[in-house]
Amino acid sequence: MTTTIGFPRLMKEAGERRVFLPDFIQFLTQEGAEVYLEEGYGSRSGFTFDEYRRANPAIHMCSRDEAFQKDIVIVLRSPRFEEFETLKRSCCLISMLHYPTRPRRIQRLKELGINAISLDSIIDDKNMRLVENMKAVAWNGIEVAFSLLEKRWPNLSKPDGSPIQVLILGTGMVGKHAVDAATKLGNIERNNDHIKAGGPGSFSVVLGRNMTSSKMAMEKFLRQADILVDATQRRDSSKPVIPNDWIALLPEHAIITDLSVDPYTLETTPPVVRGIEGIPQGNLSQYFFEPEDPAWNATVPASIPSENRRTTVTCYSWPGIHPEASMLHYAQQLEPLMSTLLKNGYTGLARDGDYFERALYRATLQAWC
Amino acid sequence: MNQTLTIGLPRIHAEAGEKRDFLPEFVAGLEKNGAQVILEYGYGSGMGFSESDYLSLAPSVVFAPCPETFRQDYVLVTRCPRDEDLCIMRPNACLISMLHFPTRPQRVNLLRSLEIEAISLDSIKDDNGRRLVENLQAVAWNGIEAAFETLRSVFPSPGFESPDRRPIRITLLGAGAVGIHVLRAAICYGNYALWHELASRGVPGALVTALEYDTTRIKWIMMSILSETDVLVDATQRLDPGLPVIPNEWIAVMPQHAVLLDLSVDPYACDGDPVYVKGIEGIPQGNLDQYMFAPDDPAYEAVPSCVPTTHRRYAVSCYSWPGVHPKECMEIYGSQIRPIMRNIIERGGIQNIKPNGRYFERAIGRAMLSRWNADV
Repeated sequence: MTTTIGFPRLMKEAGERRVFLPDFIQFLTQEGAEVYLEEGYGSRSGFTFDEYRRANPAIHMCSRDEAFQKDIVIVLRSPRFEEFETLKRSCCLISMLHYPTRPRRIQRLKELGINAISLDSIIDDKNMRLVENMKAVAWNGIEVAFSLLEKRWPNLSKPDGSPIQVLILGTGMVGKHAVDAATKLGNIERNNDHIKAGGPGSFSVVLGRNMTSSKMAMEKFLRQADILVDATQRRDSSKPVIPNDWIALLPEHAIITDLSVDPYTLETTPPVVRGIEGIPQGNLSQYFFEPEDPAWNATVPASIPSENRRTTVTCYSWPGIHPEASMLHYAQQLEPLMSTLLKNGYTGLARDGDYFERALYRATLQAWC
Repeated sequence: MNQTLTIGLPRIHAEAGEKRDFLPEFVAGLEKNGAQVILEYGYGSGMGFSESDYLSLAPSVVFAPCPETFRQDYVLVTRCPRDEDLCIMRPNACLISMLHFPTRPQRVNLLRSLEIEAISLDSIKDDNGRRLVENLQAVAWNGIEAAFETLRSVFPSPGFESPDRRPIRITLLGAGAVGIHVLRAAICYGNYALWHELASRGVPGALVTALEYDTTRIKWIMMSILSETDVLVDATQRLDPGLPVIPNEWIAVMPQHAVLLDLSVDPYACDGDPVYVKGIEGIPQGNLDQYMFAPDDPAYEAVPSCVPTTHRRYAVSCYSWPGVHPKECMEIYGSQIRPIMRNIIERGGIQNIKPNGRYFERAIGRAMLSRWNADV
């Protein structure tokens, strides 16, 4: 029997324009699926239904409810809690579901008898994620930071002629890409122009947690930083890496770049606070904040100290800054996985199957629970 | 009826310290996929494996002299064989190895003249250009581990393990594919156990300064950074391999205890066209037999005379960093190469691989010599 796949629109902030691209939709039909797109799918990015369909009879337009009623439902960011009830029982929801930090979401999916594959849990035998865009997280965030700095210092020329200094906290995957991006001014084209113009470039100082715990050790680095980047993965997310009073040590012109995007969740035990204390939480509709921005007070809980402020760039979904490039990337990663899923079906995925089958199995709700 | 593919696995005939061979589990996988495997006598012995270790998992494996392994349909070996071994191969046979097509034009010409098909393991890439067979993490971690081993032995008072010392300063040249692994490795001294132990005793950690070529070309900035550097790491991919990133005279400002770590392993070739020099000018070229060099090591005298070596520090260099820990390395390569070999075997040979086919077929197609074009 033909497998049906529904694509509901992402109902998030206005700046969220990511949709799967027409080539990926066509690919799924070549793998034997019938695809149903919610009316208006892709319209924020300028795609019409005809551009998706390309006269392919296996591609259909439908309502939002109908898209949620298919055998497989694919939506990049998780649907809202109440929308889970719209899903067909025993269907397979494919989305960034973040099992480790969303216990209520898991519970609800189980109660409703919905199968799920969490995109962020698809990992290979070496624990490497197969669907991720950490490079875009780092590059897009760093690009925005350098662009703001460039407004202050045209051509990124500091008054004293020295290189831009970027202080990076964290050496995980995002931190590694952040170094790559920061040493190239966040944008290859800008970097090439800068080199041609004889600019001094930038350098990155990278610190692990052995160094970041001491204010005395950090003071010198903070005073010299033009850009401060949080790319940490904290063991204890109830404590900030940079308490708010340390921010006073940064130069007035410094840009804080938040790549970790941990939320403020004060009602849980233990609470979750942001790595750099007192900075706001951005999204695709607004991802940079000047110190006097009213959003500061609106997004930082009153109990969190935020007196010391610097211009901050922060976004819940950094890859979404360049939506088409981001979705092209995800589609390339998803194609072999979707081929395997369509061939085997959700219940046919085996722990000891082939490479992609094993990876998919690890991301299923049943494997997680 | 499909003909059984034969796969020869010769040993790597390089320096004595090169011990890497595919592990018994990997060989058993080839057999399970339906291939007949021929191993060179002594295969795996460098890592302590005997013939019976292989035969117990892969009973149909045959052991044979080295030349016999080169006369099979497929020859699989991680480092490129010697030219005389390639000449034994049959026309239309397929060599699977790290062949580095872009920087080895003579090798490409030889293989083509012998009518050998080849798959370069370093060119097997996914649709995003990511290498599927690589161990860059081991390049970084093994190199950093060796560099810190050296630094610990020469670090001045109060000593490397003293809580009273200042943080260790690492300067990283190049933030590309190898460089990004260096960051994590350097922060942890290349050794998690040592890092945790020193951290628990309150010993200050390490900080890494990463630089790209827009900054490394400016002497006054580099002099300031180098004068405070404990470990200098070359992880560059230079646009012009004829020019060093760190000219020998710049080394003069570095502390006497400084360690120069070479992860790029570019060769010296003074009489070549083009000329090649190492990124850090004047350091010796190491291999798995010797990869640590004190300033008075005779290896410095073996550096070609066209290269200045006046200013010397402790140098750490190895042509094959992953080979420092051979078994771990071959576990990783085995897991990465397994699906590649399975696709070739199950499809009845390389001639049936569709370059526009499925994921692994596309990846293999990008690495085939018959489809490789130096101008693209």
